[in-house]
Amino acid sequence: MESCAQKKKYAAKDYKSDLKPIWCPGCGDYTVLNAITRALAELALPPEEVAVVSGIGCSSRIPAYTSVYGFHGVHGRALPVATGLKLARPDLTVLVTGGDGDGFSIGGNHFLHACRRNVDLTYIVMDNQVYGMTKGQASPTTAPDWEGSKLTPEGTGINPFQPLVVGLASGANFVARVSSSDPVNMAQIIVEAIRHPGFSLVQVLSPCVTFRPEQAEWRDIVRTAVVDVTDDAARAARRLMTDDGFNVGKVLYKGSRPPFRPEFENTSGSVAELEARFAL
Amino acid sequence: MTVQSVSLVIAGSGGAGVVTAGSLLLEAAANAGWYALMSRSSGPQIRGGEAAAMLRFATEPIMSHDDSFHLLMAIDWENIGRFSAEIPLIATSLIVGDPAHGPAPAALLGGKPREAALAMTAIAEKIESGRPNMVALGAIAALIGLPPEAMQAVVEQHLKRKGQAAIDASMAAFHAGVTAAADLPATPKLPAVAAASEPRWSITGNEATGLGVIRGGVRFVAAYPITPATEVLEWLAPSLAKVGGVLVQAEDELASINQIIGASYGGVPAMTATSGPGLSLMIESLGLAVAAEVPLVVVDVMRVGPSTGIATKSEQSDLNIAVYGLHGDAPHIVVAANSVADCLFTTQWAVHLAEAMQTPTLVLTDQAMGQARAIVPRPAELAFIGQRLTATAAVEGERYKRYAVTASGVSPMAIPGTAGLTHTADGLEHNEFGTPSSQASDHQAQMDKRSRKLTQFNYGDHWAEIIDADAGPGDLAIITWGSSTGPAREALRRFSDAGGKARLISVRLIAPVQPEKMAAALAGITRAVVVEQSHSGQFYRMLRAFYDLPKDTRSLHQAGPLAFGPGRILEQLNAWSS
Amino acid sequence: MSHSTSKSVAIATVPELLAHALAMETEAAERYGELAVQMEIHRKTAVAVIFRRLESAEKKHLAEITEMCRNVELPHYAPWDFKWTGAESPEAIDTGRVHYQLSVREAILLAYEHERKAAEFYAGVADSAQAADVKEMARQFAAEEQEHIGWLEGWLAQCGPADALALEDPDPPLGQE
Repeated sequence: MESCAQKKKYAAKDYKSDLKPIWCPGCGDYTVLNAITRALAELALPPEEVAVVSGIGCSSRIPAYTSVYGFHGVHGRALPVATGLKLARPDLTVLVTGGDGDGFSIGGNHFLHACRRNVDLTYIVMDNQVYGMTKGQASPTTAPDWEGSKLTPEGTGINPFQPLVVGLASGANFVARVSSSDPVNMAQIIVEAIRHPGFSLVQVLSPCVTFRPEQAEWRDIVRTAVVDVTDDAARAARRLMTDDGFNVGKVLYKGSRPPFRPEFENTSGSVAELEARFAL
Repeated sequence: MTVQSVSLVIAGSGGAGVVTAGSLLLEAAANAGWYALMSRSSGPQIRGGEAAAMLRFATEPIMSHDDSFHLLMAIDWENIGRFSAEIPLIATSLIVGDPAHGPAPAALLGGKPREAALAMTAIAEKIESGRPNMVALGAIAALIGLPPEAMQAVVEQHLKRKGQAAIDASMAAFHAGVTAAADLPATPKLPAVAAASEPRWSITGNEATGLGVIRGGVRFVAAYPITPATEVLEWLAPSLAKVGGVLVQAEDELASINQIIGASYGGVPAMTATSGPGLSLMIESLGLAVAAEVPLVVVDVMRVGPSTGIATKSEQSDLNIAVYGLHGDAPHIVVAANSVADCLFTTQWAVHLAEAMQTPTLVLTDQAMGQARAIVPRPAELAFIGQRLTATAAVEGERYKRYAVTASGVSPMAIPGTAGLTHTADGLEHNEFGTPSSQASDHQAQMDKRSRKLTQFNYGDHWAEIIDADAGPGDLAIITWGSSTGPAREALRRFSDAGGKARLISVRLIAPVQPEKMAAALAGITRAVVVEQSHSGQFYRMLRAFYDLPKDTRSLHQAGPLAFGPGRILEQLNAWSS
Repeated sequence: MSHSTSKSVAIATVPELLAHALAMETEAAERYGELAVQMEIHRKTAVAVIFRRLESAEKKHLAEITEMCRNVELPHYAPWDFKWTGAESPEAIDTGRVHYQLSVREAILLAYEHERKAAEFYAGVADSAQAADVKEMARQFAAEEQEHIGWLEGWLAQCGPADALALEDPDPPLGQE
């Protein structure tokens, strides 16, 4: 076993900023922040070599609560910002954090193409099936009969989005579901997600205690998935389509597709050569 | 008769090879030592639509089309009526058509041009693998005085891979056209130029745009295809790779703008190119780049709007969205290229401005200059001093302030990877550290700083191109921007040649506005005409809002895709001086 | 209040035990601090005070254990390799179990539950350890946890019955971004 001194260059709290989170007490996102910081400490990544990118929403506040480089952009666009950053700076470890509304509704198209493109990113989605920051409207993952929002008082009546299945179908290279009630397991999965090349998708069941108080029961409903990781996307998708959404704690799929990484070639070409082509 | 320039159109429907013929002619003209401008107009079809190549040749540099064309060579008449407004023909113009396709449609005959027939199809049929468009080129060459050797070299170059037989067939058709032209009425000829007096380039506005951003230092480009900006991106894809850069095709314009924000935040200068519909989608994130102070360049190759509008044709009507489109008070930079060659200067300058001020910079070009190819004097080598101000090391005992309030308004930017300077860049209003803040004082301080960095910057003389008539500015001015500069320039020259006094002010820096510089430029001017290609006179209204204009200032504006010829502008100058 | 039966925990050496104790006290101190911040941010001052006192107590423990670890080569454990009997280190309150209207009484009960878990963890180590030095140290740690438990019992006795009106919220949630 490695000694502490050899291994532990960083503690989890080294990855936390001094900024005090504004999340509601009991929010699952606190756990996610803790899991991310633990994962980074375990990977012993220098904070300046990590970037966390987000859009808008409660969970998108995470970058400012970390001590790594952060980018807090506009609603739904975290994935393209992260894509540009990672492609321009392949040396950085880039995480993307956000919620179900940010990622699967307004940012839905980017989600599909981020999976397809398979850039080496880790996307941690805190799914609470509700828009929290705007006071509790139905999100893409909300059940059709949820009547808790003034905007859709009789429920949305439309089918919930299946992020992991869609992720698999679109080409995500790593798929896992975890629960905010098990932060240590979450940290372990996030470590695996970061280490796995390509686009890693981690769905976190992260209750909204304010607008979906019934989600407090999730901690008692979730169970550790009894399946082993597969490299067969169809198999993983079949499992996900037939489960109730509460099998957590495992990596469900690990693919081997090489990440999209256009090379900044150190070519001998020069601007003068480009210009020469225009000369008569 | 020898004139300064010759203007002609080659038109035809799908399969006629109009655009190819135009390109060959342009290259041949280059070989002949001429200067040239070729723009194109086309219908909406991907294949088989009507198309027209509009060319103007001259023995000296030109930046505009003429008021009318000397020659229309119609390979057929299919749907040509749709272009009639874009092809002004007058009594001295000559229409040459193929009798195999019947008489010229009435829509072309309003200006009572001369008509003549050239049996292109019949002549081509007598030559194995002969094509009517090569016959047409032969006739054109003979009519305008283009030496056949100039075309020979071009054909050999283009058909090298197809073999000698193909070259011979093409040149046979060409020479048949030259011979047949003997029976055609004369059109103005350009004198042959023994050797060009200066180095010249053949370049399109979209290529010049791509080259400009590379010269400026851009090494990351995100791309979503859109007419008429696609060629910028297509040129950049292989070109960037040659200089160590990368182009990524994005899923939509929302992604392309955000990808370049990410790349630039990562320290790599970045840009994208789009047109009106794409710019509309990017607007929210341009505001993000303003707030988070991320340098980037977005080129809008304008087309006719609103909505999908006329995708293949030009208009200067995105000025309002470029200047006012962002919500909130969002100080940013808008610059506009004023010619094909100026796309190079303006985009290179735009990268410099964006990087130096850590702010998004919009570049407005348009379909007319973007898709035009010109033979121009070789653009000057340029290097702008001043790059992105970065923070490279932590100061002992001090927490890094990404948005430090400074005298210049520019705050040193820490690039990810720099130890001790981690921070979160934010589109939320923030304090100096970047911490989100809803306090009025933070908003005021950050707004002031974001505004100050733009207003205090020294833009030098590049804010506008100012040209005086030989006899001086007198008290008349033409104020214009973008593509309208070409005809305005020519109008000024004609006015000047006739002894008139006037000044041309073509504004390159649209925003932030430069009232002091404009006031100096307008010193002594009592009458001005504002020229632009928009239905509502967007530029005129903007000038009225921000500048003290002469009391007698008139707006000369019209919707695209029709461009002002120099004559319309000259009319106004003449009316004033008579 | 009675002690529940401890679960056996297989820790063989003093450095292993110290690594666990260090992690447990670090996480407990940090967690109490985080919870105090949450309560302060939401103007739940009385509850925040409880968490601050506990944070301070844990920091003291942490300092003592840090001192004991000096000159000891501690093994490295990934967060998931610790031999905790639950999901997290036993003394850290599960953040998912606090809420906006947490009463002082509930806060004390939550802390009490986790302090007991900590004591049980050490008791479990003491029970199952083979090595005498591990046994001894674990017993000592368990006793120290017992001291916190004693405080909490005292605080609980002072804070009276649950407030029936505690769940009424005069400040509904606000929309933000």
